Amino acid sequence: MTAGNTGINLSLGRDLAQSVLQSALVRPHGRGRGHPLTRRGSPRTGRWDPAPHHPTSAPALALLWHFFKRFLRHRTALLLGLVCIPLGILADVGVTLLIGDALDHARTADRSDWMVGVILWLALYALVQSVFRFYQRWLIVVVSRRVEVQLKQDLFDKLIALPFAFHDRSRSGDVVSRMTSDVEAVRMVLGPGLMYTLGAVIIIPISLVILFQLEPTLALVMTLPMFCMGLTMKLLSGRLERHSMAVQESAADISHRAQENFAGVRVVQGYRREDQQAALFERTSGVNRDNQNQLGNARGITHAAINGSFDMTFAVILLIGGIAAIDRTMPVGSLFKFVDLTIKVFWPLIAIGWVLGMLPRAAASAKRIDELLREENPIEDPPNARTLPHVAGRVTFRDVSFTYPRGNAPALSGVTFDVPAGTTLGIVGPTGSGKSTALNLVGRLLEVTSGSVELDGVPIRELTLSTVRGALGYVPQDSFLFSERYEDNIRFGASHDLSDAEVDALIERATMTEEVARFPEGKRTVVGERGVTLSGGQRQRTCIARALAREPEVLILDDCLSAVDTETERQLLRSLSSAGVGRTVLVAAHRLSTVKDADQIVVLSARGSVEALGTHDELLARGGWYADTWERQQRRETLVEEVSAVASEPLGPSGAAALSGTQGQGGAR
Amino acid sequence: MTAGEIDKDELVASKVWDHSLFARLLVYVRPHKRLFALSFLVLTLLFAAELTGTWIWKHAIDGPVRAATSAEDSAPFLRALYLWVGGYVALLLGMTVLRYHETALLNRTGQAVVHDLRTRLFKHIQRLDLRFFDGRPTGALVTRVTSDIENLSELFTSGVVVLFFDSLKVVALLGYLFFIDVRLAWVTLLTVPLLIGVSMAFRGGARAAHREVRARHARLNGYLQEVLSGIRVVQVFRREERVSLRFREALAQYFEANKRTIFLFALFFPAMSLAVYVVQGGALWVGVHEITQKSLTYGEFFQFWLLLNMLVRPIRDLGERYNILQSAFASAERIFQILDTKPVVRVAEAPRPIPRTSEPPHVRFEHVDFSYVAGTQVLHDVSFEIPPGQTVAVVGATGAGKSTLVNLLLRFYDVSGGRVTLDGVDVREASLDDLRSRFGLVLQEGFLFAGTVRDNLVMERPEVDAAAVAEALDAANASDLVERQTGGLDALVAERGATFSTGERQLLAIARALAGRPDLVVLDEATAAVDSATEARIETATRQLLTGRSALVIAHRLSTIRDADMILVMHQGRIHERGTHTELLARGGLYARLHALQFEEAGAA
Repeated sequence: MTAGNTGINLSLGRDLAQSVLQSALVRPHGRGRGHPLTRRGSPRTGRWDPAPHHPTSAPALALLWHFFKRFLRHRTALLLGLVCIPLGILADVGVTLLIGDALDHARTADRSDWMVGVILWLALYALVQSVFRFYQRWLIVVVSRRVEVQLKQDLFDKLIALPFAFHDRSRSGDVVSRMTSDVEAVRMVLGPGLMYTLGAVIIIPISLVILFQLEPTLALVMTLPMFCMGLTMKLLSGRLERHSMAVQESAADISHRAQENFAGVRVVQGYRREDQQAALFERTSGVNRDNQNQLGNARGITHAAINGSFDMTFAVILLIGGIAAIDRTMPVGSLFKFVDLTIKVFWPLIAIGWVLGMLPRAAASAKRIDELLREENPIEDPPNARTLPHVAGRVTFRDVSFTYPRGNAPALSGVTFDVPAGTTLGIVGPTGSGKSTALNLVGRLLEVTSGSVELDGVPIRELTLSTVRGALGYVPQDSFLFSERYEDNIRFGASHDLSDAEVDALIERATMTEEVARFPEGKRTVVGERGVTLSGGQRQRTCIARALAREPEVLILDDCLSAVDTETERQLLRSLSSAGVGRTVLVAAHRLSTVKDADQIVVLSARGSVEALGTHDELLARGGWYADTWERQQRRETLVEEVSAVASEPLGPSGAAALSGTQGQGGAR
Repeated sequence: MTAGEIDKDELVASKVWDHSLFARLLVYVRPHKRLFALSFLVLTLLFAAELTGTWIWKHAIDGPVRAATSAEDSAPFLRALYLWVGGYVALLLGMTVLRYHETALLNRTGQAVVHDLRTRLFKHIQRLDLRFFDGRPTGALVTRVTSDIENLSELFTSGVVVLFFDSLKVVALLGYLFFIDVRLAWVTLLTVPLLIGVSMAFRGGARAAHREVRARHARLNGYLQEVLSGIRVVQVFRREERVSLRFREALAQYFEANKRTIFLFALFFPAMSLAVYVVQGGALWVGVHEITQKSLTYGEFFQFWLLLNMLVRPIRDLGERYNILQSAFASAERIFQILDTKPVVRVAEAPRPIPRTSEPPHVRFEHVDFSYVAGTQVLHDVSFEIPPGQTVAVVGATGAGKSTLVNLLLRFYDVSGGRVTLDGVDVREASLDDLRSRFGLVLQEGFLFAGTVRDNLVMERPEVDAAAVAEALDAANASDLVERQTGGLDALVAERGATFSTGERQLLAIARALAGRPDLVVLDEATAAVDSATEARIETATRQLLTGRSALVIAHRLSTIRDADMILVMHQGRIHERGTHTELLARGGLYARLHALQFEEAGAA
């Protein structure tokens, strides 16, 4: 029989069925050209979050109900949409009955003028059905998208409020997949899923009741293959998903291998490893092909099983309906009604199977989303948090220890120092000695394990976050900038709206004026992939301008001058110190020349304790790690950098003058 | 992927059918023609079976069922009915088997072609020269062998084959309708264009709307990623509200784009079903009229109705197939663009062998000019030589032309003027294998491949045996480094060597070069800072690497520079000064001034 493929009516769920067979679930690379259903939330390049198949426990389903409450916030639209479903279905079923009766009537009639009435009724039913089906989809799916958007906003707001420790331990890929595939899974089941289920739950009994009145035996027997079909869908969906996952993993392997090879093409070609790498690639691509084939076979089985059981329904109709017609217990015209209604019930049935198959994953997704929304935020204002009317900028570490949640050794242990307001502290030490950790504690990005960090003598835990962070200017190690306009990145730092002149002044202080002027659109140029790419040094200087925009009492520099050459570093440090007398500066550095003019320098040991504290001269005199490193770095001090600094100047007397000028002022702070 | 990228990608070609591209694709189909033929066979059989199904219905209804209504004894009619049903069930079972093969086979066919094409494309890209790579972001190239190839696979699995077959089906079905009843068929023929119209009208809108949703979604996720990676800045600056507002804006745009798609789809399905009702209504009108006139049997109408159903799906899917075709051809065009790119660095037709002597080779740069882009000369009349066993260190500012020297020596690029020779043989006349197998290559990033440590050291060079690896690790001061790994040499290296620190990667890269026991070394020293212990190790390893070999070094370490037999100070594409460390100091030029500055600072401290 043919109807399985033909889908006579575009009744409820027809589109769904297509997506069932073609959606990302089944066709992993379907980017949803066809239907909103196939347009999965996962990003184009992203991998599915390998959602484990949790058993559908009651609490998980309760969670889905919990999320359904978000749909109820839009109950007017939702209810209207839900009401449209049975009305559309009734009109659709009406069409079948109308045609069936007309055919029965035609066999005995000898005139056909009564057909005008039938056609008019048909037109009315068709219109009604179309209108309801439009509103049904429009209302319900839009609500589901609204819920999605609100849920995403809530998740986002939660995420940006969560402490740094949370972000440190969770990979951003996981978080993004929660935001996309998990939210999408929940949306699909509760929005469109509900729509299809409800449609199926309505049309199936209605059809069966009608058919039962025509010929009870047939109506009963034909439900058998139908249930087989629903069951098949549910049974096979797990298998499809497994294969689909395998395909995606191997597709990701292909992507990684290509990425690695193209990025390392100098090595590949330099060592003549093209053939070897091509063979490896062929193997990877072959694995993907094999997985694809397996998935294709699984899809074939699903396709055949669903259509096979569907077709068997028709065989049953032909047999029992035929017998009934021969025995004259049923008019022949009823055969038409059986066949046409069966076709209309086909897709809704699959829809139920599909929704049931989706449920476990949606429940698991709901659980993960819920976990994230309930994630506790330990760094919050205490009930009686204090504010400081005026922050002077004294920073004190009192016997501070800190251990990362999963670390087995403390990152900092018993660190004590006192930075009077307006002075500079340099923090140095070998890699992993806790320099960044110490700085993160000042902004309460992390919470001390024991001891206390104090601002103007008050433990920061007793102050409001706004007081503490409001006093800080922070320049991160990775010199993070937003892909926004250059000036917006600087304005980001200020607590009030900056005038253009103020922005210019900040750019000047960061010694970026000339470079910014060379950008295609000056300071309005977008930074990042979509605009101008900044060098490491330019990024670092911009981050400094951003931090200065706040007029902070305490400036935190997290090894942020590593990518600027020594000359620019000197200029910057000069500019920073002239920027405001009375500003406290905490600067962590890998390069000791960065901190050598600090009022005090704390040397952290590899175990995170204070090894020495003093001025540059004192530390040199004392010997040990600081003096050794200083000596080594001076020896290693990159000659090339100096060559760059000078060689980019025009050669000649003026260059020499610049050179001697630098020397004269070198190190002034 | 950013929104901009999507738009750019999809702008390449908007043709639905490009014959020359298709002809080129056919080349890849040829090896798998058996699979293709089988697919067509299955599709044809399935179609024939479907038609037979409707035929059985007609005869069962017009035969036993109708005849029985006027007969007394129903037994013979029942027997006839059982026969029909028996045949029908057999047919259905056969169809079920065919359906499995329809899906599985089409998929297999597409994958076979795509696998070939992907491998071919990868091989081709790998053989292109650096001019090609330097002009393109890696991500764009990766897209070619991933998304574009996947798009093409859809061309085979659900695009061209199915489209072709669907068109055949529509024509055949319409023809068959005429066979059953001419007037009914005419009504259908007149109303079917409405269906086609709806399907095609929807096509363009859906494509644009989807692209918009994808772009907005990508931007949304991009912003989320960005905020997550800058979360510390957001929190310390207390700008949570600002980023939340930005996210809200992006979400609103995403929502609006979605609304447009939802609207289109909400409209499409009812519109399509309305069009189907028109077709059905027309058929019903004529059909009933003819039934009352007794010029049409009930069974014939039934069959006609079923055939009508078969007609709807291919037409409804037309729009979607059209879109698949369009995007597949756009991908095909991008893929063939790459396959058509020929490497500029061409291998000589009759390569001259580079003589192998017991002595390290003698390298000469003779009046070399070079420009990456016409009009911007990077090297001006550069001449120098590396006598056997000696080290030449190049120093200079970024952009002075240092790495270009390496690129020319390895023949990643060809000189624009002058020549580069190895023991008197112009590198352009030698075969690439002969040339590049001479080098021990250490590049800045210390690039490691995913695989084992051993794989990365051996690089499948037949001459590198276990002894050479051990010796190289010793010389590079990296033995304990490897021993520390669980599994030693068999320890797995993460992608791009992420399991090792920058300094460790550099040591392994040196070991890799040493393992080949080269007599010619190209070293691009890393600038990235490493801790002092590793720094000391790298210094020693570098010394090991350079001793007794001819070497070109882009030097960043003072120790390397001091030890060099010759130092070239590059400035704006020219050699500004040259000489040994002592000579250059004595000359009192740029090098000396710099050295003095350095020394003074260290002394003053």
